Amino acid sequence: MELWQIILAALLKIGFIIAVVVGAFAPVLVWAERRQSAMMQDRVGPHRAALTLPGWAVDLVDSTVRPLFAGAVLCGLVAALAGFGIFWEFVFSTEADSTFMGVSHEGLYILGAVATAVAGALFVGHKVHAGLVDAGGKVRIIGLLHPLADALKMIWKEDFVPPKADKFLHAIAPIITVIPAVLTFAVIPFSDTLFLDYLTDVVPRDGVIQGATVPMQVANLNVGILFIFAVAGTGVIGAAVGGYASDNKFSLLGGIRAASQMVSYEVALGLTLVPCFMIYDTLRLEEMVMWQHTHSFVPGFAGTWGIFLPPLTIGFILYLTAAIAETKRVPFDLPEGESELVGGYLTEYSGMKFGMFFTGEFVEVVALAAIAAIIFFGGWDVPFLFRSGFDLPGEWAFTVPLTDWVIADQILLQHWFVVVIQLVAFLGKIIALIFFQLTLRWSLPRFRYDQVMALCWKGLLPLSLVLILITGIGILVLNQ
Amino acid sequence: MSTSNFVLFLVSGGLAIVGAIGTVASRKPLRAAVALLLHIIALAALYLTLHAELLAALQLLVYAGAIVVLFVFVIMLIGPAAEVPSNPRGKITRLLSLVVGGSVMATVSFALVGHTAPRLPMLRNEAGENIFGTVEGMGVAIYQQALVPFELVSAALLVAIIGAIAIARSRTPQEQAVVVERQAERIELAAARDAELAQATAKVGS
Repeated sequence: MELWQIILAALLKIGFIIAVVVGAFAPVLVWAERRQSAMMQDRVGPHRAALTLPGWAVDLVDSTVRPLFAGAVLCGLVAALAGFGIFWEFVFSTEADSTFMGVSHEGLYILGAVATAVAGALFVGHKVHAGLVDAGGKVRIIGLLHPLADALKMIWKEDFVPPKADKFLHAIAPIITVIPAVLTFAVIPFSDTLFLDYLTDVVPRDGVIQGATVPMQVANLNVGILFIFAVAGTGVIGAAVGGYASDNKFSLLGGIRAASQMVSYEVALGLTLVPCFMIYDTLRLEEMVMWQHTHSFVPGFAGTWGIFLPPLTIGFILYLTAAIAETKRVPFDLPEGESELVGGYLTEYSGMKFGMFFTGEFVEVVALAAIAAIIFFGGWDVPFLFRSGFDLPGEWAFTVPLTDWVIADQILLQHWFVVVIQLVAFLGKIIALIFFQLTLRWSLPRFRYDQVMALCWKGLLPLSLVLILITGIGILVLNQ
Repeated sequence: MSTSNFVLFLVSGGLAIVGAIGTVASRKPLRAAVALLLHIIALAALYLTLHAELLAALQLLVYAGAIVVLFVFVIMLIGPAAEVPSNPRGKITRLLSLVVGGSVMATVSFALVGHTAPRLPMLRNEAGENIFGTVEGMGVAIYQQALVPFELVSAALLVAIIGAIAIARSRTPQEQAVVVERQAERIELAAARDAELAQATAKVGS
């Protein structure tokens, strides 16, 4: 591979990560969280931000509402007719190549599928248009514009610094928080290795493939996950420095709480993952995913996700607890507990400096969810999906009635499509894990501070040490 | 040394010097801590240019993640009392210290010019790959080549930890009871001695 190709690939990967994590995940996460809280507390939630269409555009949209509905009904009728045709032919047809109203059997299937899809699309369009006209031309996109409005507000809001605060430290604290959070994504693999020369070919399922390859992660480091811990450990200082530099008692207390809580849970967080390193026998995240992709303990499956191995099931529960505490979120949000400390170390922050703290926190949530997805849920691994395409268990083939179409256990896919499926699966796993965390956030009450500390030092830490011991004994016994 | 490595060395080395000077020169303790953080991160980058990836990660993990946090924590607990008053020494003293410090640094630098570090045998794994600086290489070095010193050092650390706990812990109720008892005995003894003394003085006086 040429040097410029490597540099271009690295820049593209960095751009992808920043666009997906900071540009898409963080705002959508904010939106989902507020939406959920609004649902639970019976409020409207983030719903007010809107783009208003001009009057003539509203009239235009209004004039298309009825034709859209008519089109949807018409397509629905066609689909129903095609379905009836298939039924009719299935029951009464005697010849193999007979037709229904001049349409062949394959044609009926295609017509039915296409007409159903178009009818659905037109119906959704009709609903959207009617809603738009009802709202007087305000485009809301179920409140998704609200995070955008929030971001714009933060950028242009006054950046207030307390008069006696240390201005340099006050400014640098959010930067110290946000950079490590984004940096952790450098070693996270987003999908299997990309083979540049065979993008539109079906690559073989096993074996070594020659040619230019692009690993789907920014940095291929030997230390792997230790890099994440090393970088994330730096983030603690941001909160502490921010709390000290604000010249405010609440900020100071919040900063102290944040620092001690994060330092404590970092230890537990690292130890809960040690059994995984022992089982996967590596520190590299891409090799951990590969291990889960290739090691099977259940007949019929080609791989096993970490969470289905007994020690790691417990490990996942411990990890999730430590991860939520590490991100300082409910029920562990003592550092910014508003009933005691106003806003904790965030009290004196406004404008984009607050926005950076906020972004850093959400990016950290995404990062820890990504690590959980990789270590416990197989990363980009999709069950039965290999480099060559899907290979479902067993040997079977199924012929669609009345046609010669065959669906078999092997579905070959082009290489680029396999990689895209893996990428989407990985992002989907991250979203599912984040959603689980959000649900926890709005379901659990806050701990007391001494309880938070006791949970870490007297609960998680001994438990994870015992887990390491048990895993070690298990590996020794199984290897004999 | 390749060009990219040399540029990396210049950048991270320069940042390390800036951080070190900031740590020493800053009057405000927390700014000194942040400068120390910069210095430590630059040192980690220097290790990376030497292909010591694990050492770089551990440098960040231990020094940036634990030690600087500890410093920040202590500074926050002490509060404004941690601020250093302005230097009371005179100009001549400062000049002298500058000269002495500079000459020590110059001596060391001149001694090191032209001196190359001894070449160590390459660490190789079973597949014949160079594993210097990797997790595997560090593991071989610590747990196979230098197991005894490593265990001795960890034993020393354990002793230090136990000693620190023994000094810092508060007394248990039983120990507290013993202390109170002894104090009471001492007070009784002192009272008895006082009484004797008073009797003696009374006799002498009469």
